[in-house]
Amino acid sequence: MTESSVSSQLIIIVDTNPVWWGQADTGESGQNQMSLAQCLECLMVFSNSHLMMSHRNKLAVIAAHTDKSIFLYPKKDQGGTSAINISEEADQGDGKYELFGLVNNQIKNQARELVINGGSSLLYPDTVLAGALAMALCYIHRSEKEVGPGEQLSSRVLIIKGSEDNPEQYMNLMNAVFTAQKQNIVVDACVLDNDSGLLQQACDITGGIYLKIPQVSGLLQYLLWIFLPDPTERHKLTLPPKAQVDYRAACFCHRNLIDIGYQSSIPSFVA
Amino acid sequence: MAGLSAVAKKTLDCKDLHSYLKTLPPDILDNLYNHPATCLAVFRELPELSKHYVMRMLFVEQAVSQTVIALWVTNKHQDLICFSEHKTSARVLSELRVWQEQSVVGDLPGWTLSPTFRQNMRVALLGGERAWIGGGALVPDKHAKDIPFLDKYALERWECVLHFMVGSSEGTDGVGNDIIDVLLHSGLMKSEPNEPLPSITPAGFQFLLMDTSSQVWYFMLQYLETLESREMDLTQCLSFLFQLSFSTLGKDYSTDGMTEQQLRFLQHLREFGLVYQRKRKAMRYYPSRLAVNLASGVTSLNTDTNQQGYLMVETNYRVYAYTDSPLKVALVALFCEMLYRFPNMAVGNLSRESVREALVRGIPAEQIISFLRSHAHPKMLKQKPVLPPTITDQIRLWEMERDRFKFTDGVLYSQFNSQSDFELLRDYAKDLDVLTWENPSKRVMVVSRSGHDDVRRFWIRQRQSNN
Amino acid sequence: MVNVTKGILVECDPAMKQFLLHLDETDAFKTKFVLQDLDETHLFISADILGTLQNRIDDIMDRLSFPLVEK
Repeated sequence: MTESSVSSQLIIIVDTNPVWWGQADTGESGQNQMSLAQCLECLMVFSNSHLMMSHRNKLAVIAAHTDKSIFLYPKKDQGGTSAINISEEADQGDGKYELFGLVNNQIKNQARELVINGGSSLLYPDTVLAGALAMALCYIHRSEKEVGPGEQLSSRVLIIKGSEDNPEQYMNLMNAVFTAQKQNIVVDACVLDNDSGLLQQACDITGGIYLKIPQVSGLLQYLLWIFLPDPTERHKLTLPPKAQVDYRAACFCHRNLIDIGYQSSIPSFVA
Repeated sequence: MAGLSAVAKKTLDCKDLHSYLKTLPPDILDNLYNHPATCLAVFRELPELSKHYVMRMLFVEQAVSQTVIALWVTNKHQDLICFSEHKTSARVLSELRVWQEQSVVGDLPGWTLSPTFRQNMRVALLGGERAWIGGGALVPDKHAKDIPFLDKYALERWECVLHFMVGSSEGTDGVGNDIIDVLLHSGLMKSEPNEPLPSITPAGFQFLLMDTSSQVWYFMLQYLETLESREMDLTQCLSFLFQLSFSTLGKDYSTDGMTEQQLRFLQHLREFGLVYQRKRKAMRYYPSRLAVNLASGVTSLNTDTNQQGYLMVETNYRVYAYTDSPLKVALVALFCEMLYRFPNMAVGNLSRESVREALVRGIPAEQIISFLRSHAHPKMLKQKPVLPPTITDQIRLWEMERDRFKFTDGVLYSQFNSQSDFELLRDYAKDLDVLTWENPSKRVMVVSRSGHDDVRRFWIRQRQSNN
Repeated sequence: MVNVTKGILVECDPAMKQFLLHLDETDAFKTKFVLQDLDETHLFISADILGTLQNRIDDIMDRLSFPLVEK
């Protein structure tokens, strides 16, 4: 009876950095034949699949932009995952499961809004990953408090990222990662390009899977194969072995990744 | 032999979706997969590993070799457990005809997803194809109904059925012949020759104590079995039922495009409280909470029925029922000795006599306990375990006290001339699966009564051929 | 030569088995009902006594228990 009352919640953080996606779209980096729209399509199929696994599964999608992070699903004004705004839903004319249609429409609308309104400020080539992760953790914390008595929620985070690491976020990100570890939240990372040392560490610390996918066009299959199984199921399946982790810390004052750090006697200060 | 019917202990066998579908003939099963909703429902009830197998093969057009699939599960140290899990997962998929055997290149055995299943899963996931039945646009309803209204409506309808079963006067007028048919067919009630109304059976008592979603699922299964006698098509009704279970609560759906059969089916569902329709001829209906997530009713807790628990159980065997519903009090009274009745609560005692009375009626101890647990007051749910262990233990002890004896009807074979004779006959009985007990050193064995004729005939033939 | 007897196989704990044997020996039901003593936990008894036997057992269990609750 205890086992059946555990619902699994998945928070997807997707990198919507316009600089990187712009480059990827123009085909500069050779094999990266994928646009943001295609990536979102894959993401939606993947989130549908997660919701399909069980009617108790929950989902949230966060877009990590260059200067802010926003929730793509569920929408902010809905006050929680349970309330489904019915009037909002466009009548669909095909055989897709209604709930999936609803989720997808919302993700699409929010993403469109983000792309149209997001271009005003200065563009940076990095993404506010730490902020998005912190949002995800807060969301998880709240939803875990909101579940009814006798129910349990097990949550995990999946980060889909393309842009480069920014060492300046090292400290913020690590703080978020250690919080996740403390809350027993697994952080997985699916990296489209540019191996990310920060995410390698994040996954290693929280016991998640880090994967830099060899072929971006096969994103959906990688997602379905490797990131769909819940952490409790993973030991049963053959999954890629742990990769070598780049455990370099960032210098606290200059915010560069360093090979040799010096620990000051003042606690936790690396220079 | 009247006493023997009480010997075989009957627990109400509430099948889950999987075991139900297994009983269907293969062609009906294949037909069912023509609708995305059925595929979704079946998919959700699969074991975890099977779900992943399906997901991994969903976009693979050709057959996958069985050895490759076996490699998907880890073969490290605890491989035995994982491997047996792999076996069951694979077996379930074959049983449900979700995948079929097909050899891959080089004549290796492989599996391929059933084309219809694959196609409709994709439709459910990605969209495309034609809409689900009645998915067309509707003008806003003048008499739009909100969720609390639907909940209240569904519960009232359903309680009518339960009232009818316990024989209280409140339910009898709202219960149609269709419901009575199903109740009789399922053996939850039986009609006595001299009584105008049918009376409840031991199975019925067990049914009363199940949580609402399991009740609805059990009831629907029984209803589906009566479909044939109503000359209705199982496939159409079942796929509509699954579609209903994936619809959104509080939304209205159009009856456009439904077949004659499905419209009839809808009227029945309306009677059971699974859908709300304002008038028989209304062009729209609202699915109620009973219908939504129907297929998962057996495996999940009754959280989705949205009823507050009302029972407090104390270590001194007192049970407090905070309710004004006579039905709920009647349910508690099935195994409690009621002491006091107040406008909004009732107090009872769990005593040996009252529990034994329930046990005699055929209600197993586990069911009493799960009833107490699933209807526990929110205040009770906060403590762990929910019910005081003394109470649960004592209820189980009371049951075990009746179970100190196990009686099995049978035939005793003794005084064999030789050990070989004994072994010959014993092995034969064992193969037929009719051997209930044996003692080789004493050359004694007991065969079940149903197997006796076969075993005796075998023995006579054996002796004749020897002579 | 094989002997065939119809009846009921009883499976119970050793204590209860002794109790049954006691009932049998003392002619509690005015007739012998234990057809064969099979082993520690098994007896073979005649079928027609079953109802009376169950009532008798219920009686004895009633006498063994004491009320748990005061009203």
